[in-house]
Amino acid sequence: MSLSLIAAIALLTYASRALALVVMPDPPPRAKAVLDRIPAPLFAALAAISVVADDQLAAPVMLCAVFGALLVTPTRSLLHVLFGGLAGYALGALVFS
Amino acid sequence: MKRRAILSAAVAPATAIVVFGATYGTLARHVIGAGAAMLSSLLIFSGAVQFTVVGLLSAGAGPGALVAGSVTLNFRNLLLGAVLRPRVQGGPARRAGLAWFLVDESAGLALASGTDVTRTLFASGALFYIAWQVGTMLGLLGASVEGVRSAATAVFPVLFIGLAALSSASRSMAARAALAAGLAAGAALLWPGGRGVVAVAAAIAVALPGGET
Repeated sequence: MSLSLIAAIALLTYASRALALVVMPDPPPRAKAVLDRIPAPLFAALAAISVVADDQLAAPVMLCAVFGALLVTPTRSLLHVLFGGLAGYALGALVFS
Repeated sequence: MKRRAILSAAVAPATAIVVFGATYGTLARHVIGAGAAMLSSLLIFSGAVQFTVVGLLSAGAGPGALVAGSVTLNFRNLLLGAVLRPRVQGGPARRAGLAWFLVDESAGLALASGTDVTRTLFASGALFYIAWQVGTMLGLLGASVEGVRSAATAVFPVLFIGLAALSSASRSMAARAALAAGLAAGAALLWPGGRGVVAVAAAIAVALPGGET
């Protein structure tokens, strides 16, 4: 892999990060209202694609981690959700391995 | 949520990033060589893009395919940048510096921090950047992370679930999040090659209709 190719991909990646954050103007109110509704669906969608590997669901132990995390989402605490996921993973590892 | 709590929460993904960095280093060393592997981590700082590039190179793909793959995977950075923009303080130079640290996890933690978006984006992004470099180096030095890779893989969906929960200030928003998750999972199952865009498309699709947030 050549240095120029690494540089080109690095430039593309940085440009995608900087374009909206630095270059684009503040969005009009209607677009801002839509953007304000983006984070929760986007993170939920990223979680969903993380448990789909190739064309099938992830391993059972990972699904246990996901269920453990989902169980404590009503607390709306990031640390609680991380611990819920950890507990789910540990339980899954006990059951499935 | 207080910044200290957010940064405590950043430790788990940072640890997982070290593990994935080591996996990348091990894999990339054999495909592109140790020097290019380290340089790619230093300059690109994107696990999704770097793993894809190495995978495509292993399959014999040319530069056009590598660039096209990178553009597709980077599309969601545009959306994250647009969401963060009104919340980030500072002039163009400061924003340009912060953009270096914009990855899914740092953007999520920054948004979850509420009023301290700029500092959280910088602090968590810098932590993840260091974690990625350390992991890559460990992989290049021959460290084996097979034993913990499964646990590290589970960190990311769990983190994103937590961030979605934090961002869901109402039942309506939680319903949108659940709908987006369902749409994205379905689309990813039907179109495995489109994982880079399905999350963004699903999020936009459910965010477009107006109403209570």
